Amino acid sequence: MALKQISSNKCFGGLQKVFEHDSVELNCKMKFAIYLPPKAETGKCPALYWLSGLTCTEQNFISKSGYHQAASEHGLVVIAPDTSPRGCNIKGEDESWDFGTGAGFYVDATEHPWKTNYRMYSYVTEELPQLINANFPVDPQRMSIFGHSMGGHGALICALKNPGKYKSVSAFAPICNPVLCPWGKKAFSGYLGTDQSKWKAYDATHLVKSFPGSQLDILIDQGKDDQFLSDGQLLPDNFIAACAEKKTPVVFRLQELLLHRYLYY
Amino acid sequence: MTSAPRGAARGTSQRDLEEDADELVHLYGLEDDDELGDEFADETMPRIEVSEYPAAEQRDWRLSGEAAEAEDLGFGGWGSEGQCQDLREAYRYAHGRASEEYECYVIPEEEDEEEAPDVFCATCKLPLRALEKVLEEHKGHEVTPLSKALESAKDEIHKNMCRLEKQIIEMENFACHLEEVFITVEENFGRQEQNFESHYNEILETLAQKYEEKILALGEKKKEKLEALYGQLVSCGENLDTCKELMETVEEICHEEKVDFIKDAVAMADRLRKFLETKTDVELAAQPALEDQTLDFSDVEQLLGSINTIPAPSAPVINPQAPSSATGSSVRVCWSLFSDDTVESYQLSYRPVRDGSPGTDHTESTVTVKETYCSVANLEPNTQYEFRVTAQNRAGLSPASERAVYMTAPSPPVIKSKEVRSCEEAALIRWESGNLNPVDSYTVELTQAEAPGAAGVTESVVGVPTCEALVQLQPRQSYAIYVRALNVGGPSARSEPATVHTTGSYFRLDEQTCHPWLAISEDGLTAVRSERKAPTREPPPRSTRFSRCVAVMGNLIPVRGRHYWEVEVDERSDYTVGVASEDVPKQEDLGANRLSWCMRHTWAAPRHKYEFLHNKTTPDIRITVPPKKIGILLDYENSTLSFFNVDISQHLYTFSCQLPQFVHPCLSLEKPGRLKIHNGIPVPKHVALY
Repeated sequence: MALKQISSNKCFGGLQKVFEHDSVELNCKMKFAIYLPPKAETGKCPALYWLSGLTCTEQNFISKSGYHQAASEHGLVVIAPDTSPRGCNIKGEDESWDFGTGAGFYVDATEHPWKTNYRMYSYVTEELPQLINANFPVDPQRMSIFGHSMGGHGALICALKNPGKYKSVSAFAPICNPVLCPWGKKAFSGYLGTDQSKWKAYDATHLVKSFPGSQLDILIDQGKDDQFLSDGQLLPDNFIAACAEKKTPVVFRLQELLLHRYLYY
Repeated sequence: MTSAPRGAARGTSQRDLEEDADELVHLYGLEDDDELGDEFADETMPRIEVSEYPAAEQRDWRLSGEAAEAEDLGFGGWGSEGQCQDLREAYRYAHGRASEEYECYVIPEEEDEEEAPDVFCATCKLPLRALEKVLEEHKGHEVTPLSKALESAKDEIHKNMCRLEKQIIEMENFACHLEEVFITVEENFGRQEQNFESHYNEILETLAQKYEEKILALGEKKKEKLEALYGQLVSCGENLDTCKELMETVEEICHEEKVDFIKDAVAMADRLRKFLETKTDVELAAQPALEDQTLDFSDVEQLLGSINTIPAPSAPVINPQAPSSATGSSVRVCWSLFSDDTVESYQLSYRPVRDGSPGTDHTESTVTVKETYCSVANLEPNTQYEFRVTAQNRAGLSPASERAVYMTAPSPPVIKSKEVRSCEEAALIRWESGNLNPVDSYTVELTQAEAPGAAGVTESVVGVPTCEALVQLQPRQSYAIYVRALNVGGPSARSEPATVHTTGSYFRLDEQTCHPWLAISEDGLTAVRSERKAPTREPPPRSTRFSRCVAVMGNLIPVRGRHYWEVEVDERSDYTVGVASEDVPKQEDLGANRLSWCMRHTWAAPRHKYEFLHNKTTPDIRITVPPKKIGILLDYENSTLSFFNVDISQHLYTFSCQLPQFVHPCLSLEKPGRLKIHNGIPVPKHVALY
């Protein structure tokens, strides 16, 4: 698959690049950002996948988070894909900010007209890693995933649906129980139809109940003053309770004064 | 090297010249023109014809120069040193001359300011620029960077300085000793002189006395005899007079009338008869001959004889105590005799030096030996003894030597093995002196115990002033650590060893800090809070004990590295584990102040509550799998304190804590339960990342 480099900037001794390629899963051109630390020049590095939240692109994380120094020091390759297919010309894709463009919810849609393009789950778990492994100095055995909000949801479900694939998963203010929250209900009914049993396959709280429980390190940070928390969009308690019952190790940190914004990074 | 013969043909000697020239160049380092330019004052040497001066041909030029000189001076061979010397002079001359006349002369080692020497040729012992190393002269020589050479030169000098210092001390001590010997010799010989003088005077006096006596005696005898004889003479004379008188009377009588004659004759006959009956002593009253008078010189003989008899010896000189010659129970005393006296044996007396007034009961012991040294045993350790020695022979005892004080070595210390604390890089050892009186210092010895009984390298730390030492060690080794006490007598025997494994950090819980309701196990690693509220014995409250919080602190080695340990907990108990500084307020709860950081677990069925407390604050944290074993990583360098669930290698929380002071592990039990510490664990991989 041909990669077209869109940009490249030196940062903390490494390189922050953006590439574009033709995605098979999503049937459109997709961009992703990738940071290569100095260590990547001489050897393979662990890969860390970042999934952004609603309305974001591949740019938000690399511009606003300031993660480069840490990635450089620790020798991590950080890959930040886009949050949904773009330019597919599907009717209604730009109508809402929390559904369609910029709101892929990291699922493989089964409903028309989304099912052709909206296959972010497969993109993130299959196509993108294969692409990265083939073209960049990453160690395929050392992969982790993290994300914010919708991306947090994406990180959790990718990890829970693929035991052993990711070494660790962290989430900032994730949507933990989409089946029960307004965002989730809207997105899933749009992408997956009305059969709620299909929804559970993409719900972290449900997934953890049947997670075979191999070594998985889960860290969740949640801002206490996050309005989406109080709006019942995120529902971390449900997830925690399920994990506690299942004895899945999670460390959940409730941080004072933190809101839902990108600056959280 | 091209050889352009100049001047007269020289044949085979040319080769020799070339080689020798090179050798000399080499030998006298004559490439440096600066050196030579100065030497060249007057120009009295003959002019030398030279045509070109590129570097390649300089040898030729030189060659011709010296050859010319050689010719002039009439040298054939190169044997004698004198010749070489002259040759060198000639050579130098020529060379210098060239540089003066021809400024474009290229000198390989001219020192430019920009290009200072930066390497050192150990073979030629010259500083060079790195480029020069490549030149033929230094090919194959050992070259080191100049800084390295400087360092090793400095090291040499320093070492030599140390040796000089040592020598100074030794010589000073020896000078003192020599003085003492000097004085003793003066005294001893002075005594001998006096001795002899008095002996000799005695003899003279005795002889003079005898003379007087004898003369007197003779005089007396003579007088006696003479008087006796004179007496006899006088009585003889009297006798004669009487005889003569009688004779005259008789004659007169004979001339008298018959009647008168008969009368007088009878009377006369009577008188005559009486007179002649009286014995005339015609024996000599005194014999003229001298009686046999042998003078009695026996006492003089005796005196003369005793001049040659061996006197009693002079006092020996006790040597000062040789360093490290004593053991804990014996000292080796040595002395010397600085005269030619004959000695049959020595008597060494000693007694312990005690503080306080003399006159206290000193028991003095004495030993008789034939040699000039003696090992005196059965002494008390770390004690001073006063020694003096007397020499003895047939004539008697010498005066006693000066008193010298010797000291026995101390008893070995006793390491407090229960108080040993260690980590990967160091160990803190404490011990008891083992001696009642103070010693000078302690020595700590370490050996890596590769195999029991194997003789490894022993590292010593000397001059330890107090009964504790922090020693640096290599990680992941086992060490046997010994301590010796040291005084002027020497080192004590080794103490019993303490074994230290530098696999991780080792510490014990400190009973001194323990709340009365906590019981600490014998090995110092388990804390138990029993169901009973009141303990069986209530020790008095102390500022070192926790009074409110049922807590105890450990003693971690004060080393600013990384320390890792694990605490086994009971899921259902309420406990707190973490670290606190030594002066944490003991009447407060752990985590309630700025001097403690800890993780607290509270079990209120069915929920587990976890807090990470410092200065009364905690983040809001939920943990889904309650840990059974908590790993704690204290990292001074990164100023962090991290907690882990050991069984699933899960990171729980990390404090960022500024730690200017040292902190110690601490734990408390809010309800009856049990906490057990696991020590000496190397930092696990997953933990090492934090």
